[in-house]
Amino acid sequence: MHALRGVDFEARAGEFIVILGPSGSGKSTFLNIIGGLDRATSGEARFRDHDLTRASEAALTRYRRDHVGFIFQFYNLVPSLTALENVRLVTEIASRPMKPEAALALVGLEDRMDHFPAQLSGGEQQRVAIARAIAKQPDVLLCDEPTGALDSRTGIRVLEALTRANAETGATTLVITHNAAIAEIADRVVHFANGTIARELKNASRKQPSEVSW
Amino acid sequence: MIRALDRKMLRDLRRLWPQVLAIALVMAAGVATLVLGVGAYQSLSATRERYYESNHFADVFANLTRAPLSLKRDIEAINGVAAVETRVEKIALADLPDMSEPASVLLVSLPETGRQVLNRIYLRSGRLPEPQTDEAVASVGFAKAHGLSEGGMIRVLINGRQRGIRIVGTALSPEFIYTLGPGALMPDERRFGILWLPDTVLAPAYNLDGAFNALAVSLVRGVNPETVIASIDGLLDRYGGQGAYPRKDQLSHAFLDAELQQLRAMSRILPPIFLLVSAFLVNMTLSRLISLEREQIGLLKAMGYSSFAVVRHYGGFVTVIALGGIVIGLAAGVWLGVGMARLYARFFSFPFLVFTRDPAVYGIAAGATYAAALFGAVNAVREVAWLSPAVAMAPPAPQRYRKLLSFVPRLHLRFGQSTVMVTRHLTHWPLRSAASIMGVALSVAILVGSLWSFGSIDHMVDITFRRSDRQDAAITFTEVRPQSALYDVRRLPGVMRAEPFRAVAVKFSNGAVERRVSLVGRQHGAGLARVLDGDLRPVTLPERGVVISDSLARLLRLRTGDMVTVSVLEGRRKTHLVTVSAIVTGFIGLTAFMDIEAMNRLLEEGPVISGTYLALDASKHDALFAALKATPAASFISLQYIALQKFRETLAQNVTIMISVYATLAAIIAFGVIYNFARISLSEQGREMASLRVLGFTKAEISALLLGELAIVVLLAQPLGWGIGYAFAYVMTEGFRTELYRVPLVVNRNVYAWASLIVFAATAVSGLIVRRRVDRLDMIEVLKTRE
Repeated sequence: MHALRGVDFEARAGEFIVILGPSGSGKSTFLNIIGGLDRATSGEARFRDHDLTRASEAALTRYRRDHVGFIFQFYNLVPSLTALENVRLVTEIASRPMKPEAALALVGLEDRMDHFPAQLSGGEQQRVAIARAIAKQPDVLLCDEPTGALDSRTGIRVLEALTRANAETGATTLVITHNAAIAEIADRVVHFANGTIARELKNASRKQPSEVSW
Repeated sequence: MIRALDRKMLRDLRRLWPQVLAIALVMAAGVATLVLGVGAYQSLSATRERYYESNHFADVFANLTRAPLSLKRDIEAINGVAAVETRVEKIALADLPDMSEPASVLLVSLPETGRQVLNRIYLRSGRLPEPQTDEAVASVGFAKAHGLSEGGMIRVLINGRQRGIRIVGTALSPEFIYTLGPGALMPDERRFGILWLPDTVLAPAYNLDGAFNALAVSLVRGVNPETVIASIDGLLDRYGGQGAYPRKDQLSHAFLDAELQQLRAMSRILPPIFLLVSAFLVNMTLSRLISLEREQIGLLKAMGYSSFAVVRHYGGFVTVIALGGIVIGLAAGVWLGVGMARLYARFFSFPFLVFTRDPAVYGIAAGATYAAALFGAVNAVREVAWLSPAVAMAPPAPQRYRKLLSFVPRLHLRFGQSTVMVTRHLTHWPLRSAASIMGVALSVAILVGSLWSFGSIDHMVDITFRRSDRQDAAITFTEVRPQSALYDVRRLPGVMRAEPFRAVAVKFSNGAVERRVSLVGRQHGAGLARVLDGDLRPVTLPERGVVISDSLARLLRLRTGDMVTVSVLEGRRKTHLVTVSAIVTGFIGLTAFMDIEAMNRLLEEGPVISGTYLALDASKHDALFAALKATPAASFISLQYIALQKFRETLAQNVTIMISVYATLAAIIAFGVIYNFARISLSEQGREMASLRVLGFTKAEISALLLGELAIVVLLAQPLGWGIGYAFAYVMTEGFRTELYRVPLVVNRNVYAWASLIVFAATAVSGLIVRRRVDRLDMIEVLKTRE
């Protein structure tokens, strides 16, 4: 059994891509491989001059640290650190970080910097997670169901933060989701099914997050 | 058919087996210490009782110069006396081919016909001597030390005449479980033994035909020995009686009693502490372990299990662990207890060993452990089981953390976020963090409480043998001799320095409290054997008054300047009122000193001495010993290096065995606790750590975060543990205190260092194990699931 078969995918720098597909379609496995969390058993995955298929454990850690920003469905903030400190957690180990305050300002949380996760709403927590992901100025921003736990209104604010981050940092952004509505804000939409890319679609024009709803 | 819930329990147990085992071992260590400590003490105590009873060990003893056998009937007539045994007892020098230094033997007469009435010997091998022959039964220890078997010969200087004595048997005696030569600090079976000879041989040899010079009396149950002693003293006064004394002052018994008292102190103090500590730790660990099951508890309730069923399920979980721990603990405790009792029984030369098993002790050990475990479990489950299932299944609401020192603006920004995380995590649950610190501190404390006595004994040895009694040897004469005897001793080969001493048996009394002690007179400005004050500085014996050891002062409730009644038990047997002029440090025995001239004035005996302390030229030992063997006046020579060796072999060995066992168990507890802390904090923060790994943190950074917390807990626990350990040591010195020994409360720095090192080692090993698990953290899982 292979989770992925014959996937051929390439992303340009700065592109905003939405990956759609039902559960078990292989989209998460795909994300894990390009995020350096898992290794493909065969084939090749490259980031610039990095060969991710043959990289060592340490090299993958290095890759994630220097180039990849992750955003999770359940935010995964450290509860004992404030918003600002959660961002600093990453900027302290990154090689060319932005100022943590700037990252939070980018997601519109400049006023909530000293709050602990418990004092923030779900949407705010996810925006902290975005700030945390972009603060290192990643080349790749990977988001796994970033709005999955949020209602529509809050989700849209999160997507706004995400598109803004994409535009301002120029990070190639991949968003995995069940939610077809989100597809309209992307440059490109990739549909996964049964471990392969079923179809790809380029949006002629991108919608603003405020223009979509679900 | 196993119910699904039970199957879950078994799977949980299997999944968590290293932690389950560690907790069970902590419990087992607590249970085992109690069972083994109490078991060993009770077995030995029961054995001694049985031994005393079956061999008719006497209740009162007396020595005198010479009394006619007819006096026996008068003694038997004293109210409360059950049986009387009269005999002849003499100390003599023995010449043994296998050693150069002279040995001494105590010659004890056996009745000509019939068995001994009291203090019966237990014949280990061979037979009793035939009447009218130079045959003897030797004490087992002495015979063994010299390889004497039946048919062996030794030469003994009996009343100034060398006689060949044939050994026909070996025996043990309740009277000589410990054999101490006169003036010896410590028993030495090589240099002092007992020979039982027929009365018909021994009495004529010392011109004691139809007479006796020693007496043993047994009492009717419930009779106060003091009243009988008074009557006996009255009867023996005319015959040079040296004062009858009760069993508790009998040397061998007193030594054995001190040993047993120490064992008892150890079993009374350390094991309950261990049990409490292990119960506390088990309670804490289990409750944290079960808190991790929050989601599962919610799930069970969502499926329709009642809160009670959930509590019962987890109750069953800890019951299995507790049962395991208790069974291991009881088995190990009984096994170690029997082993230890055997070891000590051999050490005390008991002819047999009575094992006692006290179900109450087993019950207490098992009950306390189980209650602590169950309480921990129920407590943890209760918090969750009464939540609604939906709430329980959701991860606990994110904790509201607080900033520390928030009045210092942006203080936390000066530190790395890892440091902030660790400190916030610790301060967020102050009670739990305090309990963790306390748990580790107690592990340190029981180690300190077990290990301190080694250093303390070294201190005692250092003070006693290197600063106080610095002589190489001491010669005790058979009877007092004029001062001029000192000059004869100084002329002996290899003697570099000789200082006289005078020793006399006296009774000190203050009010109702009285003690028999040996009052020792020493020369003004003596440099070999010295007495030390509380600050361990040498004390010059004052020209008047008596100097007593702190333990004697404590017993008699005397302070410097008080008057004390001193009744001399030899010679003119006068009673004097003497001033206590100083109190000095002494760890072994109850001691009292006077200036030798002041003492001779008090005794009205002129300038006489009982013996000399010597500084020897080590290269001339053999010549000296050869000369001494031919000196009838010297009854006993005690050698300091042998005393030191014996001291280490007896007290030190006795304590060492027990302490080593306790220290090992303490180390097991320390490891079990810290390992569980590390594992549980990994479980609690595993998800957070995996997220950080995804964010690009290295394994080393994650481990540092996780183990940083453990490290802080362990470090903070050290000083606290030292303090508590010191308190344990203090309690133990009080428990160890007997009239024969006082163990000083000295906790060396290396005791703290060792305790901490052991705990650090446990931490390091636990850290490594946790580190290996960090390496296997599933990062992908974090992306998908809630907690």
